[in-house]
Order: sequence, then C-alpha cells, then structure tokens
Amino acid sequence: MISDEDVGGVHIKYLHHCRRQLWLYLRGIRPEHLNATVQLGEAVHDSSYPRHSPVDLGAAKLDFVDGHQWVHEVKSSSRPTDADRAQAYHYCHQLARFGNDVKGAILHYPATRRTVRLPYTPEATAQAEEDIQEVLSVATALTSPDRLPRNRCRGCSYIDYCWTE
Amino acid sequence: MPTAARTYWLTSPCRIRRKDESLVIEREAAPKVHIPITDVRDIIACAETDINTAVVSLLNRHRISVHLLSYYGDYAGSLVTSDTSTSGQTVLAQANLAQQPSASMAIARSLVDACAFNVRRVVDRQLLTAPYTTLQASIKEAETPLHLMGAEGTFRRSAWEVIDTKLPDWLQLHGRSRRPPRNAGNAFISYVNGIIYARVLSAVRLTPLHSGIAFLHSSLERQRHSLVLDLAEMFKPLFAERLLLRMASRKQLKKHHFDTGTNQAMLSEAGRKLVVQTVRDELATSVNHRSLGRPVAYDELIYLDALALTRHCLEGTRYKPFRIWW
Repeated sequence: MISDEDVGGVHIKYLHHCRRQLWLYLRGIRPEHLNATVQLGEAVHDSSYPRHSPVDLGAAKLDFVDGHQWVHEVKSSSRPTDADRAQAYHYCHQLARFGNDVKGAILHYPATRRTVRLPYTPEATAQAEEDIQEVLSVATALTSPDRLPRNRCRGCSYIDYCWTE
Repeated sequence: MPTAARTYWLTSPCRIRRKDESLVIEREAAPKVHIPITDVRDIIACAETDINTAVVSLLNRHRISVHLLSYYGDYAGSLVTSDTSTSGQTVLAQANLAQQPSASMAIARSLVDACAFNVRRVVDRQLLTAPYTTLQASIKEAETPLHLMGAEGTFRRSAWEVIDTKLPDWLQLHGRSRRPPRNAGNAFISYVNGIIYARVLSAVRLTPLHSGIAFLHSSLERQRHSLVLDLAEMFKPLFAERLLLRMASRKQLKKHHFDTGTNQAMLSEAGRKLVVQTVRDELATSVNHRSLGRPVAYDELIYLDALALTRHCLEGTRYKPFRIWW
C-alpha cells in the first residue's frame, strides 16, 4: 500500500494519536477539510513565520529549516504531545536520510509562545525508524483498529465517522 | 460538515460572478451581494442562474456543488465538483457489497423499513400500524429490490390516503403523481423531494462513497445518482410529508402559492419562496444526537447517515438507517 519512503509527518502524528485514525487516513477517508480545528491549524500555519518557506521532501513537508540545521515546526495547539515530538523526530530522520547533518528540531507553539528544543540523538533515530515500521504495519492491517475511549476523541476530525451509530 | 459554512439558496433569477476569491451574486433590481467563498458549503439555485468558468473553477477548488432546480421545481441537475472525496478502497468495498445479493438486500430491506417507519412516525402512528405490520412481513419475504419497492409502494398508498384525511380539500393528493404533479399537494411534495435529493447529493459527495452505486435502486443507471435516491428515502418523510401536514394545519399554504392548470400544478413564485424558506429553516433545526452527544442539525443528519453507510461498507459495522428518534 505505502512504502517506508512514503511515510510522512501526518502518518506519524496519527500513529501516536490513534491507530484507527491512521488506518482510515491510509484508506482515503479524509474528513479534515470539514473540521473547524483543522482549518484553524492551517490558518495558524499560514500566519506564523511568514518569512520562512516550507521544505518539501516528497512525503514529509517541513515548516522550515534554519541555517544551523535545526528543523522548525509550528503547532496550533498549546501543549506539546508525544505525537508532536515523534513528528519532529521523523522530520529530522527524513532530512538525515538525504545526507543532512541535522542537529534537532524546534517545536513552536504560538498560542502559548513556547518553544521546545529536541536534539536529534541516536535514540531519536531509533524511535523514528520504529515509527515508520509501525505505520507500515497499521497500513497492512486487514481490519480497522478499535476506537479509542470516547473522551480521547475530542477534537478529532474523524469523530463523526467513528461515533455515529 | 463544515461548521462555519452554510448552504446558499438562490430564489430569484441571478448571475453568479467571481470577484477575486469571492462570489458576487448579481440580481435584477437588487443590490449585488458579495459572499466569501469559505462561507459557502453548497448552493441550491431555485431560479434561473447564469454561471461561468471562472466561478466553476473557484467552486471546484473549494469543493462546492451547485444544484439546479428547474422552473417546474423538479431537480434539473448539478454542477458537482470532481470526485475529490471518494476513496478507492471504500468504493471497491461498496461495489463489492452491492454485488452480493444477500448483503445488498439486507441494506435495501433496512432502508425500506426505516423509510416506512419515518412515514408512519410523521403521518399517523395509529392508523398506519396495520399497513406497517404488513410491510414488515413482506419485507422479510421479498427476494429482489423490485419486490421491496412494490411492498413500499403499497404501504405508501395507504399513507397517502391517511394524509388526505388530514388535508383541506384543495390540498389533497388523491394518489401520488409526478411529472407533472397533478395537484397542489403533489406539487408541494415533488418540490421538497427535489430539494432533499440535492441536499443528500451534497452530503454524499462529502463522504468517500460513490454516489452511483446503490443498494435499493439499480446502480449506475441513466446517469442518476442512485445511492442518493436510496438515502433520500428516509429523509423525504421528515421534510416533505411532515412539512405539508404542518403547513396545512397552520394554514400557511394558500391557494395563491400554487399555479394550477388542468390536471397539473406547480408552486408559484411566492409559493416557491415560502417553501424554500421553510425547508431551509427546517434543515437548520437541531436535535441532540445520542452517540455524538451534541446538537446536530437535520442537514447534518444526512451526512452522518452517509458516514454510517461508509462504515458499513469499509469496516462491516452494522448500518441502521436514519429513524426519527425524537
């Protein structure tokens, strides 16, 4: 279905948030454009750091890379999550694959004006590689993973799909 | 469904133009209206509308469909956006289900049952108990979609008779007639059904399903959206029959809302405006959704039902077609 080179940031993010979401995403269920939170995220993205241009790596699309080889990623939420960190490591991993000497990633949270620095370590590399394999195993699963407990679905754009009876 | 966006209803002849990234509606004898494109979910044009390529490309980019109702109020066609929402695997699963007689008949049966349930619910529970029981029996026995539709027709006929007892003389249906509707009551129902068809088409286009592959109606036939016909079944009673009875009992419908000729009738200009307004407001009514735990507009119910069908196709979860639960 997809190969390890096609795994992008969204896949990693969904993997850490909810495997079912990832499974559906891989099958072309894309309700995101109907979701107000997603639209807000896009607006935050478009209006933050307008001087920097995104870097397109094919599967992954980084917000920008600075002159000191740090990957920057802008988030519309106010609190860092595992998914954010995994996504950042994935981007570092992708860049490293293209032969860049990546130092790490910086997550920006404009809502709370915080940043999180994540140096790119060997453990991070291992995690990034493991995540890619995980994504591939979800992709090939024949049946859909179960829903998360209802309270963890808040704000997810797949909520209508998963929870209508 | 997009939370911010809404459906635009065009009730007077107009021209849609594009001005940068927004739409301009130009009408005769009325000021221009500028509409930001992000505010539009879809457009239902109930009157003559001119449109050009610049507008179509903008609409397509934002996945907005335009549904056109003809002068007589029947559904004339749609400018639908290219199939950006369909998902290959879902469509394959859907086609697969539609080809398995047992699986597709199960869906078709539940569709007919839900439709009849809704009709009975809005018309008269007491008087339609017997026909509904008969219908349920014949649904069980039915072997093909044709049998099912026959059984539904029988049930519908008794429902029309019951409706007639609740309507003033001039609005009575005397049996359902289409193309053209024979009398005022039929004209009303046809018009509302046309609108509902357009709304369901909009909703289905937002889901990964293919609008042509159906379970009750025959698939991919005569370039109609068969799946939309299937799903519209359950929603027609919620709007057409229900609003007809309500507007008649409130005496909102007047004779001048219809142009009646010999053996045919249609809504007049004023009638069309009134009906469109009523349906629009009705679509915005919300009820509390039990499993989502939030208020959901009638409009959104259509989309949710299509999503439930998607889930049935893709994951095999049980599909329970929409039933009025409140």
